[in-house]
Amino acid sequence: MKLKRYLVASAVLAIGASAAYADGANIFVVGGKPDDPFWSIVKKGAEDAGLVVEAQGGSVTWLGPQNYDNLGVDAAELIRQAIDQGADAVVGPNWVPEAMNPAFDAVVAAGIPLVIYNAGGIEAADQLGAMNYVGSNDYKGGVAGGEYLGNAGNLNGVCINTLPGAANIEAFCNGFVEGMTNVGGQGSVLPLPATSFGSATAVAQAVRAHLLQNPDINAVFTIGNVDANSAVSGVAQAGRTGQVQVCGINFDESILNNIEQGTQACAIDQQGYHQGYLAVSILNGYVNYGLTVPTREILTGPGIIDGSNVGATLAGVKAGTR
Amino acid sequence: MDIDMPTDDSKISTRGHALGRLVRRPEAGSLLGMLIVFTFFAILGGPIFMAAPGFSSWLNTAAEIGIIALPVGLLMIAGELDISVGSVIPASSLTVAIISGHFDQPEIIGILAGLGVGLLVGFLNGYLVTRTTIPSLIVTIGTMFGIMGLTLGLTVLIVGSTGVFIVPDPVTKALLGTFVGGMFQVTMFWWAAFIVAVFYLLHISPWGNWIYALGGDRESARNAGIPTARLTIGLFMLSGFAAAFVGVAQVLTYQSAQVASGQAFIFNSIMCVVIGGVLLTGGSGSVIGIVIGTVTFAIVNQGIFFSGLDPNIGSIIIGALLLVAVMSNDAFRQMALAFAARKK
Repeated sequence: MKLKRYLVASAVLAIGASAAYADGANIFVVGGKPDDPFWSIVKKGAEDAGLVVEAQGGSVTWLGPQNYDNLGVDAAELIRQAIDQGADAVVGPNWVPEAMNPAFDAVVAAGIPLVIYNAGGIEAADQLGAMNYVGSNDYKGGVAGGEYLGNAGNLNGVCINTLPGAANIEAFCNGFVEGMTNVGGQGSVLPLPATSFGSATAVAQAVRAHLLQNPDINAVFTIGNVDANSAVSGVAQAGRTGQVQVCGINFDESILNNIEQGTQACAIDQQGYHQGYLAVSILNGYVNYGLTVPTREILTGPGIIDGSNVGATLAGVKAGTR
Repeated sequence: MDIDMPTDDSKISTRGHALGRLVRRPEAGSLLGMLIVFTFFAILGGPIFMAAPGFSSWLNTAAEIGIIALPVGLLMIAGELDISVGSVIPASSLTVAIISGHFDQPEIIGILAGLGVGLLVGFLNGYLVTRTTIPSLIVTIGTMFGIMGLTLGLTVLIVGSTGVFIVPDPVTKALLGTFVGGMFQVTMFWWAAFIVAVFYLLHISPWGNWIYALGGDRESARNAGIPTARLTIGLFMLSGFAAAFVGVAQVLTYQSAQVASGQAFIFNSIMCVVIGGVLLTGGSGSVIGIVIGTVTFAIVNQGIFFSGLDPNIGSIIIGALLLVAVMSNDAFRQMALAFAARKK
């Protein structure tokens, strides 16, 4: 009985918290899982921009999927949820265009201003009739990583794809292969089965096994910060530290330490904080005061972090903004 | 029915041949499956798969899943499921990282607190399962999301980001997070210890028969005087502890804890248990079977990378393996039952 009372009390509390709507711009941001290390940074950017939104009488609501098992469909569902909840503006990533485009079309058809961020590029924004694209160009991010490693003399690279099927991840890997080829090397892609997602050991062991079976490979490219740590461990376990260089999309404190110590060569930064921050700011200005940003395709990346600029980045990590 | 199995076994064993007895062991199907899988990847993987790097590759993978699969297997034998292990792993990792990394407290405090989180979640699971009529699948899905949210919320509240880092001192690192010979993760020795402990619990101590009885028929088990509630809570605490242990080992191995890790362990552990011949409905299964199932699963998972097969089809092989394993386990069980019936 006692238990039941607690449950009821907490349910009421939850409803009370989510019903805080106001007169300003009610902006809905569709993004990744809030516990995803990268997405928590994007979310922080969106929330920091949200301080201004709230000061002007609006609100920012983050909608993220519970898991990535059915990413495209779940995200499309969240976009429709935003429309149903009376969004004044929507920010969303175009992860899986086939599944998500109809939902974005519905946003535009309802006359709700839309900004595509993080994934999709300006092409997707144009095609969908969105106001702008805020994010890095994923393909160029992969190219930058491939060229960096290739120019350092590591000309045989593999991209570890722990999330096969997502459009931006495929672009990272394809870009990486392209970058490797640009500087005269060769690249390949290793897709991992779904049973290894979120398990550092599984990813590390996969990297290690692949390196042992393909001793010619001397460059590893990863698509997320958790994977980079696993890849560095996998390289060490294969006994190839120093010979095989690791570069990856995104970074965190331990990756920066690895870059400082030289066990990781570089990290490609797409500056997720700015993706959330700028997308929300642009829409808030537009909804409230008709402000526009004439620059189309606002690039937040790619930028390369290596031994030369690693120190400057650490402060941002401590603050949860990088 | 399962409760009088031992007497059937002893009847057969006085009459049957040694080989016949082996084939009719419940683990025979799983063992055969493991050998087939190993041979398959040994042929495709070549000398590297057969050498130390290959062995350590799947043993490292097996050790982590295995530590969790053992108590999850016990729960399944007792007719329960535990989904919450997936969120206990990051919860305990982060507890260690926050207490000993962020706040710089002695590591032993962080580790004990991390393991305590597992025991606490296990107790909560067991308490809810025994005090309500909600199936354990639902209860543990509920606690999984609850723990996931708490982990995320508290971590962001305390640290301000979702990844926390720790540099463990050499002794702790050597005990829980090192690679022996640069490739064998120390976790596998802990796995061996878990195997011995759980083997004793299920097959030697009187608790073992109680667990089988619980999965066979909970009502009769309680009428027979078995403390079913205490036993169920104990089993859930064991699986919470095991998941927390893996979380602790992970944070000390990779020196960082992430809120999002651990989800893969939910289905992987259940798969290992089922491949090892444990009945999903409870009442049947063995520790040897669970170990064989775990090794089979790990060989397939890692073998794909040594084999030169297109990794895109990796998940298909894992899925097919699960179905084939369950079908062959069923076939062996039918054979054994038919044989036993004929003998009478």
